[in-house]
Amino acid sequence: MSNVITICGSLRKGSFNRMLANALPGLAPAGMTIKASPSIEMPLYNSDLQAEGFPPAATALSDAIRAADGVIIVSPEYNWTIPGGLKNAIDWVSRMKDQPFANKPICLQSCSMGILGGARMQYHMRQSMVFLNAFVFNTPEVLIAQAQNKFDEKTGELKDEATRNVVKQQLEAFGKFIARVGDKA
Amino acid sequence: MANSLNIVTICGSLRKRSYNASLVRLLPQLAPADMMITAAPGYAGFPHFNQDLAVPDEVMTLADAVRAADGVIIVSPEYGWTIPGALKNALDWVSKTKDQPFKDKPVAIQSASTGPLGASRMQYHLRQTLAAIDALVFVKPEVQIAFAKDKFDEASGELKDAASIALVTQQLADFGKFVRRVRL
Repeated sequence: MSNVITICGSLRKGSFNRMLANALPGLAPAGMTIKASPSIEMPLYNSDLQAEGFPPAATALSDAIRAADGVIIVSPEYNWTIPGGLKNAIDWVSRMKDQPFANKPICLQSCSMGILGGARMQYHMRQSMVFLNAFVFNTPEVLIAQAQNKFDEKTGELKDEATRNVVKQQLEAFGKFIARVGDKA
Repeated sequence: MANSLNIVTICGSLRKRSYNASLVRLLPQLAPADMMITAAPGYAGFPHFNQDLAVPDEVMTLADAVRAADGVIIVSPEYGWTIPGALKNALDWVSKTKDQPFKDKPVAIQSASTGPLGASRMQYHLRQTLAAIDALVFVKPEVQIAFAKDKFDEASGELKDAASIALVTQQLADFGKFVRRVRL
């Protein structure tokens, strides 16, 4: 049994990455529950602010990460790297005592309308996750290119069968990865 | 000087006693005679980027300053081995404005960190983003001030290390030549 949360890097309503995050519970293997994390919207990181206390949103996100067996980051790529807003949330979380990402199994997924599927975001995120001492799942990678052809923009449904299969495979393998490297109960 | 270059700085740290903010404040004194360096309008009040929102006025203010400048110097710490989220959020917003301000804009990068790498991991990720937004990024010399604790005065916060000051001075002089060479 594993309890997994998704952190979505996009705030916009029609986000393909949000559609993907929403599709995950339906594609998860038996025994894995997947829920959305609390909001990643928080003040811009400033250690002077931190000295006055962490924002409630940073604490809520950190608590949810700590309580999860694994985290799936589902994010677009902005300007060939991590969206600033998502990185800002990670910057806050990284300053917490008992740093929530330490030793946490993490999995990455991304969608883009271009041909690279958010790959440049993912490899920068992997570098940041080394700093955070997370265990980042390797392959299969979920990089959904030309997302506009793979989702039903009206219903938000992931309709592309090959994509559904790779996501299913990744979730199944991520479940095993959690069992192997995650904190044992 | 009538023909002076108008260069604006963007600082990647919002905290008061930041080494990078201190470096930003020093730059006007180290600039060559034909370069005016001023701080760009701030981004501390920008909301988390969301394409559903209208572009906030403060974003337009920063975008206008970048557009009007002959060049930009980004001075930033490294957070989590990459670009600070707040700075990246500002770039994400500015990149979405009309007549994208960084396109063809000469940009130099500087950083300071307390560790041994001088925030170089931030710089190389930032170079990738600046390529995405079509800036013309100055190459060498790089300014990556490592072990910043030993190089800035603890009490005043000012950069006191002569070698670092000479390097920054050299970069600014060369950046001036680069701007004159590549600007439209």
